[in-house]
Amino acid sequence: MLFLVLPVQALLLRGLSAQFFPTLLRPVVLDTLRISLLTTGCTMLLTVLLGTPVAWLLARYDFPGKTVLDTLLDLPIVLPPVVAGVGLLLAFGRSGLLGAPLELAGISVAFSPAAVVMAQLFVAAPFYLRTAKAGFMAVDRDVEDAARTDGADRWTVFRFITWPLAAAFLLEGLVLTWARALGEFGATILFAGSLQGKTRTITLAIYSALESDLAPALVLSAVMVLVAFTVLAVVRRLGSAHTWR
Amino acid sequence: MKSSPPTSTHPGSILKTKLLISTLLLGLGNASAVSLTVFAAASLTDAFAEMGRAFDAKTGNTTTFQFAGSQALRTQLDNGARADVYASANNAQFSPLVKSGLVTGGQPFLSNRLAVIAPKNNAKVQTLADLGKPGVKLVIADKVVPVGTYTRQMLTAIDKSGAYGRDFSDRFLNNVVSEEPNVRQVALKVQLGEADAAVVYSSDVTPALRHSVRVMTLPTRFNQSASYPIGTLKNSANPEAAQAFVKFVLSGEGQAILKKWGFLKPR
Repeated sequence: MLFLVLPVQALLLRGLSAQFFPTLLRPVVLDTLRISLLTTGCTMLLTVLLGTPVAWLLARYDFPGKTVLDTLLDLPIVLPPVVAGVGLLLAFGRSGLLGAPLELAGISVAFSPAAVVMAQLFVAAPFYLRTAKAGFMAVDRDVEDAARTDGADRWTVFRFITWPLAAAFLLEGLVLTWARALGEFGATILFAGSLQGKTRTITLAIYSALESDLAPALVLSAVMVLVAFTVLAVVRRLGSAHTWR
Repeated sequence: MKSSPPTSTHPGSILKTKLLISTLLLGLGNASAVSLTVFAAASLTDAFAEMGRAFDAKTGNTTTFQFAGSQALRTQLDNGARADVYASANNAQFSPLVKSGLVTGGQPFLSNRLAVIAPKNNAKVQTLADLGKPGVKLVIADKVVPVGTYTRQMLTAIDKSGAYGRDFSDRFLNNVVSEEPNVRQVALKVQLGEADAAVVYSSDVTPALRHSVRVMTLPTRFNQSASYPIGTLKNSANPEAAQAFVKFVLSGEGQAILKKWGFLKPR
C-alpha cells in the first residue's frame, strides 16, 4: 500500500510548492501544456471520427477475417510504445514504406505535430475501439428493431437509439484514450522528436527538464497526477452510469 | 581467492569441487577482480565498449557501462546513482560534481571535434550555407547536452565571422526540427534519413554510420574543440579498480583505442 501511495505523495509534496503557479506560467511549461492539449485534442477527434464506424462494424457484423482484424486493432495496447515508434518510422518516415509517395505529395510528417498525433492515435485509439465495441454490443437490438418498424432509417436509428444508449461506453473509451495519449512518450520521442513549442509534449518536457532544471519537471509531474485522479474519477462515474441499465 | 585442493579422489566429487571453484570465481572473482560501473558520455559508446573489453581481459574485472547524454548521467549521479567512474563530454556537466564532492579527478583524456553530417542519398544540404536555407530540416542536441552546447558555440563563431551573414544562427535554429537528448540520437536521425543534416562529433561518424552519411567540411575556425574529463566517484566500492580504469584510459593502450574510434589526443 505504502509502496503505491508514497511516490504519488512525494510528487505532490515536491510539485505543489509555493513555486507551483510561477513555474506553471513559464513559457516552457505553457508551450508544453498547449502542445499536449492540442495534439491530444486532435487525437480524440480522429479517434471518434474513424473509430466509431469501425467499432460499430465490429460489434454488428460478421465477416471473414474479423477475428484477425479485431486482434490487430488490439495489438497496440500490448505493444511497447517504443516499438510502435519504430514501426511508425519504418512506415511513414522519409525512408519508410510510404516515405517516397508522401514526399512526392509534399507531405513530410516526421518531426511535426502531425507525427505526435499519429503516435498518440496509434497507441491510444484501440482503447476507444474496445470500449465502443462493447458499448454497441450492449445496446438492446429489440429497441433498434422497434424503431425500424416505426419507419426510422438506419442513420436515424443510429443517431437517436444506438448512439445515446452506448454514449456512456463511448465516453469512457474516449477518456481512457485521452489519458493514454497524454502519457505517450516512447513512440513520440522516436517518431516526432522533441522541440519546444512544436512537438515537446508534457512527458517529453518532464524528461528533458529532469536533465537541467528540475522545477518544470516537478510542476508538470504534479499536474499529471492531478489529471490522472480526475480521469479515474470520471471513468468511475461513467462506469457506474452504464451499469444502471 | 585461495581454496584448498580437493581431498577426495572420487572423480565426481573432483568435478563438483571444480565446478564450485569456477562458480565462485565467476561470482566473486579473485581478490583483485571486481565489477566496475562506468558512466560515460553517449559519444564514447563504441570506444569505451572496446576499452572495457581490453581492460577486463587485462585485469579480470567485469566492467559495465551506462552510456547517455552527460547531463543525464550527471543528474543520476546527483541523485545517488552508484558508479565507480564518470567520463563526461564537457566540464560543465563534470565540475559541479567535483564541487559537491561526489567526484574526484577531472583530467582531460581526449579531445573531439564537431562534424556536420547529411544523409548520402539526400543532396539538399551541400555546403554550410545551405544549413540556413528555409525548408531544411536540421536535428541537433538539446542545449544542456554537451554537443548541443558546442553546436551553439559553433553558431556564435560563424555569426561573428559574418561568412554566411550575421543572422546565420537564427536561420539555422529556425530549421531545427528536433533537439535530442544525446548525440547518438542526433546521428540516428540522419542515418534514418529523417533529417537533412545534423551536428555531431567527428568521432560519431563510426564505420557503421559512414556508409549512410556524408561529412561536410567545417572550417577549423568555426569548429569547436571538445575536452572530455574523467574521474572516479568518491563513494565507489572499488576505488582502486576505478583508479586502474582511469589509468588504463590514459595509457598508451587506452589512447590507441580512442584514436581508432576517431578521437584526438587531450589538449
